[in-house]
Amino acid sequence: MSSFSAPSTGRRRNLYAPPPCPHLADYRSNAHGLAKPFRSLQPCLRVRPLGRPEIRREPQEIPRCSPCSAADGGGCGMGPRLYACLACAAVCCPAHAPSHAEECRPGHEIAVDVDRAELFCCACGDQVYDREFDKAVVLAQIAAAAANASASCSLPESLRKRRRVDYRPWTPDPREWATMRRESSPLLLPDASDPYSAGAANTSTSSPSSPPWGLRGLNNLGNTCFMNSVLQALLHTPPLRNYFLSDRHNRFVCQQKRRRKKDGSGGSMGGDRRNPSGGLPVCLACDLDAIYSGVFSGDRTPYSPAKFLYRWWQYASKLASYEQQDAHEFFISMLDGIHENVEQDQHKPQSQGNGDCCIAHRVFSGVLRSDVTCTICGFTSTTYDPCLDISLDLDSNQNYTNVPTTKSHACNGENDLILSSQICGVSTLMGCLERFTRPERLDSDQKFFCQHCKVRQESLKQMSIRKLPLVTGFHIKRFAHSSIKKMSRKVDRYLQFPFSLDMAPYLSSSILRSRFGNRIFAFDGDDSDAAIDLASEFELFAVITHSGTIEAGHYVTYLRLSNQWYKCDDAWITHVSENIVRDSQAYMLFYVQKTLYYEASEDVSAS
Amino acid sequence: MSASNDGNSSPRSQFASHCFEDLLDSIIVDVASECHRIARLGLDRNLEEEEEELRLSVQARVADPSSSSEVNSKNVVDVFGQTHPAIAAEILKCMNCRQRVVAGRFAPHLEKCMGKGRKARKVTRSTVARSSHPHGSPVSVYAPYSNATSTNTAPNGTSGHAGEEYADYPYGET
Repeated sequence: MSSFSAPSTGRRRNLYAPPPCPHLADYRSNAHGLAKPFRSLQPCLRVRPLGRPEIRREPQEIPRCSPCSAADGGGCGMGPRLYACLACAAVCCPAHAPSHAEECRPGHEIAVDVDRAELFCCACGDQVYDREFDKAVVLAQIAAAAANASASCSLPESLRKRRRVDYRPWTPDPREWATMRRESSPLLLPDASDPYSAGAANTSTSSPSSPPWGLRGLNNLGNTCFMNSVLQALLHTPPLRNYFLSDRHNRFVCQQKRRRKKDGSGGSMGGDRRNPSGGLPVCLACDLDAIYSGVFSGDRTPYSPAKFLYRWWQYASKLASYEQQDAHEFFISMLDGIHENVEQDQHKPQSQGNGDCCIAHRVFSGVLRSDVTCTICGFTSTTYDPCLDISLDLDSNQNYTNVPTTKSHACNGENDLILSSQICGVSTLMGCLERFTRPERLDSDQKFFCQHCKVRQESLKQMSIRKLPLVTGFHIKRFAHSSIKKMSRKVDRYLQFPFSLDMAPYLSSSILRSRFGNRIFAFDGDDSDAAIDLASEFELFAVITHSGTIEAGHYVTYLRLSNQWYKCDDAWITHVSENIVRDSQAYMLFYVQKTLYYEASEDVSAS
Repeated sequence: MSASNDGNSSPRSQFASHCFEDLLDSIIVDVASECHRIARLGLDRNLEEEEEELRLSVQARVADPSSSSEVNSKNVVDVFGQTHPAIAAEILKCMNCRQRVVAGRFAPHLEKCMGKGRKARKVTRSTVARSSHPHGSPVSVYAPYSNATSTNTAPNGTSGHAGEEYADYPYGET
């Protein structure tokens, strides 16, 4: 099978194999008269627990370099690397391997590192790669794992891929045009010559000629900046915004439905928190729809989300108090509220993984995969859980001194920022994600019951992202609550975050692949579609920051609209430079998928 | 790696050094082999982009971050040319009690009005018994708005008063 062309600009393709060197190509084409190359190796592929493959003719064989042993007359002849020639199975150390290839050529150039199952071309003096060989190794590893009867939760039904379809643009037909003209009134467009749109006074950067649509301050109703900051981010979450602006949840229609439903059931239905007797059931999506209408109306005076606060307090009564609250808690509560209301009304399935239930999950819901591996026998237990966002720990490593960035910049030069940031202790979002997906050895008091060993064993746990949501929200755990000390403290540590983020290294497919030694193989959950690479690229569009202390702090949202950044501080909207955003103390970060794909709908009637 | 040349050259210590060196070499080759594979297969992250983001971040932090627009954003004209008072002055109509309330004080008003939060004072005799919550958490007390002898209902329910929308009983929360 011919290899693909080189990946462009370093972007990886899942099954990419580099072009073989001439010796490898020769070996493959000749295959020494065998039907399959590497066939002689197959029975020698042995897999140690935890998956490390090696080449041994006999299970307990100890390979030695024959020339070394002969010369030393008893020298051990073992080095850090030993190569077994694929043609004649002669074992050599790196010093003697080239001469073996030279003496026995042609045909003896390709060897295999016996301890690592890696191909080596003795003539080129370099490690080489082959898809067939890797496939053989992975199959051996999988077979070894299966022998341990790994239990994996079968992938939830909802995640089986649906067929991708092309985007079909919609244009209204004449009848629809007529309806639109009749039933709507034009919004007043911002006037380019309007003195108000000349830009904020105190910024050094120039602002655009007129502020974008949907930019509108939100009045603080009394310690409600936690709500305003999240609302601003959600109002400008592209898929969510499009949904509501496309009238997909019309509050008037929904209200009628709810009224009819309530009347139909013969009066008040007590016992439902969404339905205080005497009133209609609460629908947070309707209240959000009202805010969208208000904020995108063109009116630029600050909007007071009073009704929304009232409704939300009806829904989430435990959180209802005039106190400083946590923006992240509000975010989750709000999404849950939208889900519940819509789900109950439309009797859609509860499964959140594929987001079919409601718009909140369609936009924000992803699936996390958790693997727990027994360190003794390699048995792995896999579970999948849906998530609305990803909460990350800030490394509160006391070993890091918070070195001022000027120093780090000077001492390490421009070319080694990644390394210098690790040394000088700057936390980065990608660093947090790496830690999130790193195999973690569970404490001895958290021993996992291994189904294979039938006892509790020390185990490794590793998280990965099985399915990325359309919008990935990150929650930086800055508030450390100690239930023992009954106090909370805030971690003010700066976190660097990128404006463009590639989530590919944190996907389950990547994590799984690296567990198998990064072999060229189509793993479960892999999408050989080249488009998968683009599906993991995200762009930042909103940052919620917290300044101050836990008791007395303030939330502010930075929004990215048409690549301009705006600071939304309750009612005050100002244009700010990129630098201010990069320097801010991020508490929640919102990234949207750069490229959207359309899946064939299972519902025939859906548009 | 050269053999260690500490004064101790007994065969045992030499052998120990040799073993150590072998192990160290082996680990180094492990890492080299893995990195070589990652680099050759193009699996390494887009390092240039990552470096660029870090560079921009460093640049941003070095540039004076405390420009006046950051600190005094509440005293400036906003992007629409408006100024706003510290406390929002818009007059709103409370959905619960129909009173007119200043926007900036709407939340504290609503809290009392709906009987939520620790500051709610309207506790009637009929609700005191229910307020001894098994979990002991600071739960907001359900306070019927008007009638002191309002009916009790099951923990998940709300008592009925036509035309008035009551907050939900907190025990119903998951």
